[in-house]
This record gives sequence, C-alpha cells and structure tokens, in this order.
Amino acid sequence: MKRPVRVGAGEKLVLTANRLLDGTIVWRDRLGQWQPVIGAAEKLDAEGVSDVLDLAQARAQADGVVGVYEVAVRDVDPPEPVTVRERIRAHGPTVHPEFAVETVQ
Amino acid sequence: MSVPVGHYQYDQVDRDFLEARIAEFSEQVARRIDGSLSEDEFKPLRLMNGLYLQLHAYMLRIAIPYGTIDSKQMRMFAHIARRYDRDYGHFTTRQNIQFNWIKLEETPDILRDLASVDMHAIQTSGNCIRNVTSDEFAGAAADELVDPRIHAEILRQWSTLHPEFTFLPRKFKIAISGSPHDRVAARFHDIGILARPGDDGRTVFRIFVGGGLGRTPIIGQEIFDAVPEERLLATLEAIVRVYNAHGRRDNIYKARIKILVQALGIDAYREAVEAELAQMDLEHYRLTPEMVDAIQARFAVPELSAPDNAAQELASKRRENPEFDLWVRSNTHPHREAGHIIAVVSLKPAGGIPGDATSAQMDRLADLADEYSFGELRITHLQNIVLGHVRQDRLYALWSSLKEVDLASANIGLIGDIVACPGLDYCALANARSIPIAQKLGARFGDASLQAEIGALRINISGCINACGHHHAGHIGLLGVDKRGEEFFQITLGGRAENGASIGTILGPALPEDDTVDAIARLVDRYLGIRQKGETFLDTLDRLGDAPFKEAAYETV
Repeated sequence: MKRPVRVGAGEKLVLTANRLLDGTIVWRDRLGQWQPVIGAAEKLDAEGVSDVLDLAQARAQADGVVGVYEVAVRDVDPPEPVTVRERIRAHGPTVHPEFAVETVQ
Repeated sequence: MSVPVGHYQYDQVDRDFLEARIAEFSEQVARRIDGSLSEDEFKPLRLMNGLYLQLHAYMLRIAIPYGTIDSKQMRMFAHIARRYDRDYGHFTTRQNIQFNWIKLEETPDILRDLASVDMHAIQTSGNCIRNVTSDEFAGAAADELVDPRIHAEILRQWSTLHPEFTFLPRKFKIAISGSPHDRVAARFHDIGILARPGDDGRTVFRIFVGGGLGRTPIIGQEIFDAVPEERLLATLEAIVRVYNAHGRRDNIYKARIKILVQALGIDAYREAVEAELAQMDLEHYRLTPEMVDAIQARFAVPELSAPDNAAQELASKRRENPEFDLWVRSNTHPHREAGHIIAVVSLKPAGGIPGDATSAQMDRLADLADEYSFGELRITHLQNIVLGHVRQDRLYALWSSLKEVDLASANIGLIGDIVACPGLDYCALANARSIPIAQKLGARFGDASLQAEIGALRINISGCINACGHHHAGHIGLLGVDKRGEEFFQITLGGRAENGASIGTILGPALPEDDTVDAIARLVDRYLGIRQKGETFLDTLDRLGDAPFKEAAYETV
C-alpha cells in the first residue's frame, strides 16, 4: 500500500498523472480536467485529497491518463513541488533547456 | 541481399516472427487505448516489447544483440530519433539504445520500421533473459582467442521467447567474451562466459554465475572451468532452471540469482546444476559443430586488405599532428590483422551527455562505418561506438571526419569517459540526477592533455541503487541518494569490472550535489600529487589505501 505523502507547513497537494497516449505529464485542475502545466493544478488540503484521488483514479481510463497520484507542493502560484523528482516532472529535464515545460498557460 | 559483417543475417522465419509479434502488440496497444486492457494488465505486455513509462513520456529500449549493428540499422535509429522522438537517442550500458520521448500510439509504427532492418525491442525489459552482451572488439582484437558473437547469437536464439524462462523470478543478464582480457564485466553478470579454444579445436567455456551490481553487488563465482561447446546450451539451461525453481519470488530485492548462489553456496549450486543435467535429455540440447557452423555462415567476414605502408602512414600522421596522436593513444586498440586498427568513437564530449547521439551524428557514423569499417558498428557497454576494422593509413581521414561532428574526444578509458545512467532527469526509479554531475565532471576535466596526464581512471555514476551506471565497478563511483528530497552523492573507490573484478568501497558520508564535483577534483589532485612514476589511479589506491583520498575529498566539509 502506498504511503500517504507527507505535507509540511505551507504545503498543499496536487494530483498528477501521465497522458495515456503520449505519456505527457498532466496536472488535475479544479474542474477535474487534466492540464499540461502545473500552474493549472488545483491545490488540495491533505484532509480532502483522498476522495478526489479516488475519483480521479476511477476516471483515469475515461480521462485518458495513467498513474494518478498526489504530489506535495509549496503553496505558491504556480505551485512548486517539494521534491527534486516532481520539480523535474513539472519543469522538464534539467539537461535539455529546450525541452523546458511552461508552468502557467 | 548481402550478408552483414559482424551480425547474424535474418531469414524469412525471423522476419515472419517479428511481423506476427508486431501485429500482436499493435492489437494490445489498441485494446489499451480503448480501455479493454487496464494499465496493470498492459504493463507486462508493453515491457515485453521494450516499452517503459518514464517520468516525461514513454521510453522505448531497442535491443542490439551483442552490441553489433550495421549502417542501415544505425540510419534507422536516426530516422526514429527524427520522426518519433526529439532528434537524439541514448546508448545504454547494456549495449542497447533507448528513446525517451515516445508516444504509445506510435509504438507499433516504430516497431515496424525497426523490423524493416531486422531489429526489435524484445528482451530489453521484463523478467526474462535479457539481450546478451559481448566484447566490443569481438572479431577484431589482436588479443582475442575466439570471436564470441557466434555463440552470442546462439544464446540469443536459445533465449528469445524461451518458454521456461519468460517469467523468471527477476531479469537475467548474460555476457560472453572470447578474450583473456575481460571487456564484458563477465563477473558482474548473472552468467558470465569466457570462451577459449579447446584442445580439439572446438570452443570451451569458463562460466561464472551469480554476479551482479544493483542493490547487492556481488562478484560472480566460477561454476565450471571448461564446458565443451556441445554442452553449452544444456549447461546454461540447467543453471537457469535451478534459479527458476529456487530463486525467491517473495521479495523483489532478493530475487536475483546472485542471492540464491550466496544462499546455497557455489558448490551446492553446482551440484544442483549437475543433478539437473543428469536428468536432462542432453542429446536434445547438444550443440553440434554443424549447428555452430551454420550460424557462423550467417555472419560475413570482412575482407581485410591494407597497403604494406599502412602502419608507416599512420605513424607519419601521428608525428605531424599531436592532437591526432593523443586521440590515437586513447581511442584505438590493436587489431588482429596487420595494417588495421580498432577505432573507438567517444560519445562523451566535454560537458556533454554520456551516451547521447543526435540523428545527424548517427547518420554520419553510419556513413563513416560504410566508408571505413565494412558498414559495421559496435555499441559498447561503456556507451561509446566502435569501428572495428579501420585501415591504419585511413585512420587520420576518419578522425578528421569525426571532428566535424564533434565525435573526436580523445578520452577512452580516461576520466572524461564517464559512464552514467539517465538518472532522475528521465528515470522513474532514480533518486538523483546522474547526467548533470557527469556533464560538470566532463567539463572540469575536458582538456585532452590533462586527461592523458591523469591516465586510466574510470568514473561511473548511478542515479539510484539499481546501479545502471555501474558505479560499484567504477574506479571512482558515484551513487545518487535522496536526502529529504535533495540530491546527495556517495563516493566509492576501487571498483573494477575487468580481470580482478572488485566492488568499490564507500569513502564516507554522501556529499551534497554542489560539493561533489569539487570533492572529486581534490581527490584527483591528491592522486597526481602522491602517485609514483608509472602508477595509475588504481595502482596508487592499492598501494596507499583510501585514507589520503578520503582526507582530500572531505577536507572542506
């Protein structure tokens, strides 16, 4: 069983996944749509994430995404992931600046 | 169609099989997209076809059996890079190539393109016998006893879709060499094979079992010293059967054969294999000379011919051009045939990404292979490219062409020849980024003269304990670790993969990413200050131990 993500002071959670067809990293917005920029992500409190996560996982196939999970972010705009791994997912690989991902639309 | 130099020529049976396999996978992809297959159901199917889902996209890993391809196949990689990816590919430490920006829906098309040049992505993932690796100088090196690629091809045909070994406890890696100088890290494989001529003229095989890197690095132990050729397949079958029957399936971290060999002891493992052999129908598994010869006939032999003055021409060019001379010193290896030489093309430009090549570079390498080396290229497990049969009087022209596409770094076996896994920039398993630190080290030590002065020193970098960068086997190894979401690097010293294989020992506490390059630089400076005349880094380390290096690495921490 996956351990719950720890959420520190000044931090929130966002939901992420990969798009099924091409693997593109996507973030779930407040309308339940999956967006390619983290700036569009809905920030959730730790207490409320479980229900939203369950719903998003249940709808993953219909929404065309795979591997839905939650990510801890600093509560700023756009949200900034806490870990290096998720920062790389949000911004693109650090070794190819030309592949950098925008964080806002 | 002409038979390719250096690798097996497919026949219609091979091509029909690939066509059927692609049709099957295309259907599976369609069922995944329409929801008939869940991700949990689809994942093992895509992995059997080399398709991973990594951080940013799907990654397709393509098999390069025993590391050898022809120019047509290299051009296909360039095409895939341009058409389906982001204009580059990454050559791996398993002599394969992987593309990092693949779309699921385009994968069947890519596999069809690959099949058009007799290639596929089978055995590059999953708990099966993986793509067999071999000596990058096979069939060319002056020190070689047996060309191992014939038997590597036999092992490929034996292991591909082997019905018993499709669902092993874990992945299973085999390497085979035919040289007394182990260039395949045989003792760090599940099975490592060293081939040599037997008394009757047929090949015999020394076999190591239970080696590996990863979470639990272990040096393989000799299980048999001289397996005759006709018993090779039966012996390997028995070794893998014992593992398949008794290897642990309850714990992924203890499922490799090395754990079983350690648990049983090598003598008990050998007894189990012999007991298995005693009940097998050995005639069924007998590898006859006719079978071996039939496989060998599917490999073309290069028609080597050089002018009498080829060596003098090369010597003259070396005297005229010190930069070329430096490259020849580090990037060539003696060939078995007079007037010829083996050229190693470094994929490690100063500050570059180890193992990456653009589509333009791949196309150019294919052209150069056609022009200088019978259209044959080899991918090394150290992430470089070999042109195996270059005429000595044409080496200068080859080098000049390589310079034009930034492929003439003179650093093979030197500190700039860094091996690195993709790390956290791409890999879903990684804890830390391998590539940026490789780039910083490569830039820091980029000067060819400085590298030559430092001498033989291999740096290997892994972004996690799975050790795809083979850090345990690096003279200097770096292992990326995650400390509260930040990247740190643990330094190991003294690893080596060749004869006298050893596992590097940890120097001290992991350092923050920002401090690691400076620590390595201090460590190298200390070596230059304390080495005796003629000593390599490993010689000095063996003589003095790691204390002076530890002091240097941590002096400001």
